[in-house]
This record gives sequence, structure tokens and C-alpha cells, in this order.
Amino acid sequence: MKKTILLIMIFVFVVSLFATGVMAEEKTIIKVAIGGSAIPSAKKLAEMYNESHPGVDVQILEMPDSSTDSLNLYLQFFEAKSSEVDILVVDVVWPGIIADHLVDLNKYGAEEIVKDHFEANINNNTVEGRLVAMPWYTDAGLLFYRTDLLKKYGYNEPPKTWDELEGMAARIQKGERAERKEDFWGYVWQGNAYEGLTCNALEWIYSNGGGTIINNDKEITIYNPEAVAAVKQAAGWVGSISPESVTGLIEESSRHIWQSGNAAFMRNWPYAYQLGNAADSVIKGKFDLAPLPAGDSGFAAAALGGWQLAVSKYSKHKKIAADVVKFMTSYDAQKYRAIEESYNPTIKALYKDKEVLEVRPYYNRLYDVFMSAVARPTTVTSTKYNEVSALFFRAVHSVLTGKDSADNALGYLQLDLQSVTGFETSSPETK
Amino acid sequence: MDRNSKLDLVTDEQRLAYKLLAPTLIILLIVAIYPLSQVFYTSFTDRTFAGTNQTHFIGLNNYSKLLNFTIKELPPVIEQGTNQVKIDSKTGEKVYEPSFKVLPGSPKPYKELSQFNFLGKRYVVGATNPEFINSIITTLIFTLSAVSLETVLGLIIALLVNSNFTGRGLMRAVMLLPWAVITVVSARIWEWILAPSRVGLFNMFLEKIGIGNGQLAFLTADNWQLFSLIMVDVWKTTPFMALLILAGLQLIPGELYEAARVDGANKVRQFFSITFPLLKPALAVALIFRTLDSLRVFGLFQVLVGQRLYSLASYNYYQLVGNRAMGLASAVGVIIFMIIFVFAVIYMRLLGVDSE
Repeated sequence: MKKTILLIMIFVFVVSLFATGVMAEEKTIIKVAIGGSAIPSAKKLAEMYNESHPGVDVQILEMPDSSTDSLNLYLQFFEAKSSEVDILVVDVVWPGIIADHLVDLNKYGAEEIVKDHFEANINNNTVEGRLVAMPWYTDAGLLFYRTDLLKKYGYNEPPKTWDELEGMAARIQKGERAERKEDFWGYVWQGNAYEGLTCNALEWIYSNGGGTIINNDKEITIYNPEAVAAVKQAAGWVGSISPESVTGLIEESSRHIWQSGNAAFMRNWPYAYQLGNAADSVIKGKFDLAPLPAGDSGFAAAALGGWQLAVSKYSKHKKIAADVVKFMTSYDAQKYRAIEESYNPTIKALYKDKEVLEVRPYYNRLYDVFMSAVARPTTVTSTKYNEVSALFFRAVHSVLTGKDSADNALGYLQLDLQSVTGFETSSPETK
Repeated sequence: MDRNSKLDLVTDEQRLAYKLLAPTLIILLIVAIYPLSQVFYTSFTDRTFAGTNQTHFIGLNNYSKLLNFTIKELPPVIEQGTNQVKIDSKTGEKVYEPSFKVLPGSPKPYKELSQFNFLGKRYVVGATNPEFINSIITTLIFTLSAVSLETVLGLIIALLVNSNFTGRGLMRAVMLLPWAVITVVSARIWEWILAPSRVGLFNMFLEKIGIGNGQLAFLTADNWQLFSLIMVDVWKTTPFMALLILAGLQLIPGELYEAARVDGANKVRQFFSITFPLLKPALAVALIFRTLDSLRVFGLFQVLVGQRLYSLASYNYYQLVGNRAMGLASAVGVIIFMIIFVFAVIYMRLLGVDSE
């Protein structure tokens, strides 16, 4: 009896081995690693691709929400040279960090389509002449403002400069507090010690004429009077127009304060637009978007964000994977995502597409913001970027929390950046 | 049976014992000693995590990068016109030069760690890596405060639960709840409780009784951060401490107390003459467990304060994955190992754990 059971088990085992072997031959499986809110539309795009390519099965491998956690996972895949992931989503700051592990998409026919995309994104994704990732959607820091409150306090338009923002935020905050809204704040932003603070601080400094930390000629420009003044001004907001806890806020926590109607202004990425207008939102229809305020330089700056798709060097099906990437970043795919989920396309023509503009009227006004967004110094610092950014946001954070003066912190930062990157120092060029 | 064959039997037994131990030793070699020596070796190189460049042997460079520090005298600012020492008009104290003027700047810049006055002069302590030195200090303060609080509270709870009352079994089960929750999950729960607005339970409660303005930033304000972390850890691990101590209490035979009562010893005398000495081994085990655990605290810091405040382990994690400095991170790992080792030895000596 036992022997028969054993025989049957062996038979089943062998058959199942054989069966999976046959199935694997039938379809090429392409695994796409994607995390967070991008998963649903990525699944939809995968379905579309599978329908038109019967030999391929594109699967979505779910990654953590946090971009830092995803990068950590990728690095572990790369360290093991694992072929587990074929396609991965890449944050705008990563190409320089992980370029060594990605294939050159120009070799797979991407050369002809790059001109349709924003130049800033393509430049960002080109490392030493290799196009390591295709832009999927773009992001830029924006100012969200409450139209109803502006009207209530007699303002016709959103602030044009940081000083104006300060004044308006303080007045609205005082007025609202007097009406027993004790949790109301003028301005919320992302001041936690993390990548988001690098974006925020870069916006203050660049719009004040203080440069981009490190310029494209590999010169450290961070220690200059304009940058010091900008950081000092921001430190003054903590506890006055922004809550003490702003030094612990990230995108989502600041959005929660804003979306519960407890702030007049918020700096955030475009994704908050769709959520703020959700059916259950307190501020539905009561807010609008504007470019961030300008500093002493007279122009506004928005940090460039966004995500790309790349093919892993360790993938076993690079050619098919590259084709999937081309499909997922194509005009039709980006149009679908823009309309369904308010992800900003990287293809210029989509900002003039009638069907898109019908659903996303603000694209018209913000096209210039996306076009001229300022990139973090990722490409020049390549693998050192993470350390450069960490040193930068920790220095700024120490000023925001009052541990250090802006002058001292940025002075030390310059020394630190010199020893990390080996670059020379210089003053920022004025625009 | 004569004497000789008896001896043979003993050596046979011994031989068998070694044979039986061999698999354990081999497994230990594979899972513990090999990775550990790998870490030791990596700590002498400049290896990059998930990097494609060549790895070089750099000797003790990583260690000196982490541990270098210096003390320099800080000269006061001399006013140009009068050649007098500049005095701050507000505080009436001497104004000193900024620290980066006296700290050496190359090849790796020293940064200010702290300043202190000694014999009328001002000194500045500089380190090449103040973040790491700070993470050591933070972790030590965290460990000492959390573990001593947990021990005292755990002892009190264990004594209470050890006494006879109805519902004792249920009480013991409920007591363990905070410890049973995964650290990352409980840290998230505390993140909400400690929220810096009236949404957070603590802020709402404290404001009701007139403390603060309902906007206390427990996890971001400098003077609250470490305190909050210690509190959460005490909440979470006191039950574990209580459980270990309770186990020790149950081993003490009841007759001893009866005898003490007959001899007329009061409760306090009973505690110090019977309970405490007999509890010492259990207490020692509990203390060692908790101390060594706290020294490598990670989840709590990572979730609640992220990169705002590092513990040794979260600094290690940042260096490895965030910064990809695998060599440096290995050196951090080795230093953590050393610190834990020192603590373990001190405990064994002090509490006499290794003596039979």
C-alpha cells in the first residue's frame, strides 16, 4: 500500500516538474517591480501589453510604498545579481546611483523616441552617454493654496514671493485662530530629515539665487550668502507660520494637515490634487495650484521629481523587457495614466492633448513649471548622491531645529561635501 | 569489572560526546563564525554595497574615520579696535571664535561635537564623524535609562502578579500583550499616539490637563525625542522583564518565607534577605537579555525618528544601505559587537553568572 502511494507521489512530482517546464517555454515572464499608488495603473498597462503579445506574460511584483525602501530592495537584488526583476521603477535621483546595473535603452531603439519627452528628464536619465531609464511620469514641487481663504482675507491671487507668502500665511493664520481653529497653520511643507527636505531646501535656495548645492561643472556652490539667507528664512517659519512639528513632516503627513482644512498653503507634488478633490475631502473644490513663490532672484524654482522605467542588466529577457518599457512609457500609456490617475506625462505633446486637458485643466498653466524644474545634483555626484543629499538635509535640518546657525551649518557642509566628492568650491552662477 | 575497562568506558563516552557535538560545532562555524569573520574582513576594505568597482584593502582607515576625535582650545574673539575680548551684550559672556576655525580641516574635516569650559578656558571637542559618536552616546543613554526603568517596573509588576489573587492567570496573559506586538507595528501605533497635534492621544490629554498647547512635537523636538523613545521601549519590554523575574520568583520555595515569619522577620526584611538574593540569577539573566537587546535597538529608532536621530544599529543600516559604504558599515558592526561584548563581560563579572 505504502509503496503504491510513494509511486503515485513520485509520478505526480515528475509530471508537475515537466508541466511547469512546458509552461515556461510557452510564455516569457517579464516581472515589473512597482510600489505604492502606481500599482493599479501599472497592472492595467501590463494587461494591455499581454493582450497584444500572446507570447509574453507581464507580471507586477509589488514593492514597498517608500522609495527609500524600494531602493534598498533593488540594491539587494543587484548585490545578488538576481534575475528576479526584469523591469524596475526608478526615482529621478537614482539613475546616477544604480546606472551600473541597468541596460542602455538606446541600444534597444529608444533613440528615436526620446525627443518627444522633456529634455530635463532625458538628461537626468543619461549617464555617461547611456540612456539607463525611460521617463514614465514627471513631478515638480507646487504651491497649493486655499481659494476660499484667500478671498475671505481679501487676496486676489496666490503669493508671488516667499515674503508675500509669509505675510499672507501669518494673517490668515491669525484670523483663523481667532475663530477658535487652534490647529490652523499658515504653511505646511516637508521638513523631516529625508530626501523630501532636500527638494524643499533646494527650492528655497535656488529661487533665492543660491545655486543647486553642486553645479554641473562639478563645483560645490552651497556656501554662499543667498543660500544662507534662504535657509535662515525657512528656519524662521518653524513655530510661526508652520507648526513646530514641520521638522518631522513628509509628503503624506503634510497632506493630512492640509486636507483636513488646517492649512492655508502647502508645498507638495501634483499627486495631492486628485486626492484633495476626492469626494470625502473637506477642501474639495476650495483650492488651486500655483508655481512656488520666488525668492530674491526674482524667479521661482520647482524641484524636479518623477519616476522612470528601467531594465535590469541581470534580466534574462532584456529585449522583450525593453519593448515592454517602450510600451509603458508610450504616448497612449501616459495618456491613460494622466486621465485616470493624474500622473504628469513626460511627453510634451500630451500637455496639448484635448482629451487630457479636459480632465486636467491646470496642465496648461503648469507646463512651464514642469519644463523648467530644477534637478537635484544627481548626475554629477552619481553613486555619491545619497551621501551628498543626506549631508545636505541633515545640515538644513539642524538649522530648522535651531541646533546650528545657517552660516555654520552650510560652512561645515561645504567642507563635508569637499571631502566626500573631492570637488572644488565655487560661487553659484546667477541666472 | 576492573578499573581499566571502567576508564575505557569513560573515554569512550567522552569520545561519543565529542562526536555528538561535532555537527553543532560545524553548524556554528557555518552560521556564526564564518559570517562574523567575513564582517571583520570587510571592515578593513572599502567595499561598496551592490557596487561594481574594485574593492581595496585599506587597513584601519574605516575605524579611524569613525572614531577620530580631538580636543582644541577655542580662542575668544578679540575686538579689532580695542584689542579686548569681545563680550556678548545680551548674556554678558565671552564670545568665542566659530569652532571650524580651530578644528583641523584636512584630509577629513573635524566637526564640532561639543564645547566645555575647563579652568577658565573654552575647549571644543571635534570628531571626524560626530554622527557616529552621537549615535554611541544616544544608544548608551537609551540603554541605561530604559533597562533600569524596565527592571524596577518589571520587578514591581512581577511581585504583584506573584501574589495570590483571583484572575491572576488572566492578568499574566494580558500583561504580555505589549511585548507580543511586533516592534515595527507598535512603533507605528506610538507614532499616532505621539502625533504632534491634537489628533495624537498624548497631546489631546496633556492639553486637557493644562500642559502644552496641544502641539508638542514628541518625535521631532530635540528635548523630547530620546525621552519618547525610552518611554515607548519601557512600555514595550517591561512585560518581558516582569515575565523573566516572575519565573525567578516562582522558584523560591514558600517554606523559606514561613520560616522567616516564624523568626519574626517583616516583609521588607524578607524581601532583602530571601527574595532578592535568590532572585539574583534570574535578574541577571533578564538584565543581560535586555541590555544586549537595547544596545542593538533598531526598529524603534528607524520607524519613529528615521534619520533625525540615529541609534548604533540604525546608523549602521544607513551606512550600509543608504550610503552603500559596506566597508564602513562593517566597521560599525564590529564596534557594536565590541561594545556588546564589553557589556556582557562586565555583567558576568558583576553578577557572577559564570561561576557555578
